[in-house]
Amino acid sequence: MATETDAIDGGTGTTSAIQRFDEWLDEDVSPRRALAVYAALGVFMLFLLLPVLYMILATFTNQSFLYSSALLPSLSSLTLANYVNVLSTGAFQQYFVNSTIIATATTALTLSVGTLAAYSLSRFDYPGRGSLLLAFLGTQMLPYVLILIPFFLLMYTLDLINSHLGIIIAHSVIALPLAIWLLKGYFDDIPESLDEAAKMDGCSQLDVLARVILPLSLPGLAVAGFYTFTISWNDFLLVSVLSQTGATRTLPYGLQLFQSQNQVAWHLVLTAATITMVPVIVLFAAVQQWVVKGLASGGMKGT
Amino acid sequence: MATNTSQGRSPRYSEEFKSLLSETWLGYALILPATILVAAIILYPTVRGIQMAFLEVSLLQPGEETFVGLENFAEMANDAVFRTALWQTVLLTALAVSLQYLLGMALAMVLKEKVPGMRFFRSVSMVTWVLPIIVMVILFRFMVQNGFGPANIVLGALGLETTYWFGDPEMAFPLIVLMHVWRNVPFYAIALMAAMNSIPETQYEAARLDGAGALQRFRHVTLPQISYVSMIMIVLHVIFTFNNFEIVYLSTGGGPLGNTEVLATYVYKTAFETYALGYAASMGVVMLVIMLTFTAVYVKLEDTD
Repeated sequence: MATETDAIDGGTGTTSAIQRFDEWLDEDVSPRRALAVYAALGVFMLFLLLPVLYMILATFTNQSFLYSSALLPSLSSLTLANYVNVLSTGAFQQYFVNSTIIATATTALTLSVGTLAAYSLSRFDYPGRGSLLLAFLGTQMLPYVLILIPFFLLMYTLDLINSHLGIIIAHSVIALPLAIWLLKGYFDDIPESLDEAAKMDGCSQLDVLARVILPLSLPGLAVAGFYTFTISWNDFLLVSVLSQTGATRTLPYGLQLFQSQNQVAWHLVLTAATITMVPVIVLFAAVQQWVVKGLASGGMKGT
Repeated sequence: MATNTSQGRSPRYSEEFKSLLSETWLGYALILPATILVAAIILYPTVRGIQMAFLEVSLLQPGEETFVGLENFAEMANDAVFRTALWQTVLLTALAVSLQYLLGMALAMVLKEKVPGMRFFRSVSMVTWVLPIIVMVILFRFMVQNGFGPANIVLGALGLETTYWFGDPEMAFPLIVLMHVWRNVPFYAIALMAAMNSIPETQYEAARLDGAGALQRFRHVTLPQISYVSMIMIVLHVIFTFNNFEIVYLSTGGGPLGNTEVLATYVYKTAFETYALGYAASMGVVMLVIMLTFTAVYVKLEDTD
């Protein structure tokens, strides 16, 4: 990075640290301003990330470290034993599989139903369109605890208690309104002239969706998919009501039971918690550029 | 669509009318699955919940319903736990959302700076927002656990009081606020940052030429142009915080001594632990009415601005 500086300095060969820092920065940022920015950034990152990093560190230690008054473990005491222990626990494996099945199926269902709905809202003109969108978004305002009581009785009547399907449907519906809104934002950005051109070539309305709209809104699908997967993967409340045995229990609910039974086994509780958060963090890393951009434009346009 | 005035009108109009009709039907057909799902799983239970607010129903015999009129609502007036929970919910929402907004604004102003590596920090700061709530709760409980929680080790080394802070009647509530803030600040920051970045630099130049200082530029250029995004973020998070069940239920369960009880947890317990479905539903209706009123008033105020 500092090689250009050397070239510029040529003869003297002594490039001060400040100068090199300045070279490294964008042209319109002064070193003093950049230092202030990094300092403020450091404070925020410490506040937001230190607890998470510390938890991850703790999962590589043993119980005796967690019950000592030391803040940092010695390097030689780090171990993978907790991961081996948790991952080989039958119940944990079962919950992991349940979570994966439920979150994946929820994402598939929400994206299919949501894409059709968003396409309808974005490209078709019919009475009630505006109020339908408002009604979908309005459901986000309803207190879950109010819905929960009749919802539980409804699912009981439909025999969907303690089944994967019941949880999948419930999670899909929770995620659907925002997924539709996100997708509609992306669809709206695609010029309608492309639709017209495709129709000239003999495409039907559904062909337009499959061949024009969907390929052009992959980032939108990724963001909506990530959002839906996370809603489902992270949910505790609905699963706690709908799941009654280990066969349908997901990780968050299992984790809650595990921590209340294992008040003292922090090394295992923290490890289980860390493994639980890994999939959503990996997914987030995969789509983060679109999430950040989507929040910046698509999500906030004021439809 | 039907505005063309070329030759061969009548067959053309009927054709267009037909295609318009089929478009309308296709539009409805495409949105039907989503509508059915939302109607069955959200709207029907909501309507049913509102109806239950006027009934006496037990979870043990959900078939036996007695109409009691406004009795459930009258009961709330004499229910000290309800009043405390209502007050604590409002306080939690007000504190959490204002702190989130202030800190989110501060973080946004840092994140919008163009220094190397910023894109990485923008993404990585969102991690707290992605975590499952149960993982956040476990993390915080671990940090403040009695004796060997890292927070207590630090406090102890400084010679300060240490305890399991979620069990402390004074500190449990601030900790709940802290969790709400920690979790959502990045979301505000990214949204506000995006709004700030979309303000053209020329407006700042113009303000500078008019002799406006940094503070004045913020007040007269930045603030007015992020007000729409601010409104969206505030409304979303007021609703989220007011209705949130998991953060309190999983961390303190409403205790100690009911000091962190909020409406969501109280409604849940009334329904699923004491089985009084009608009373629980009526409190849920009160929550709904408060949120509807808040949103309507806030959006109206923002509109007239």
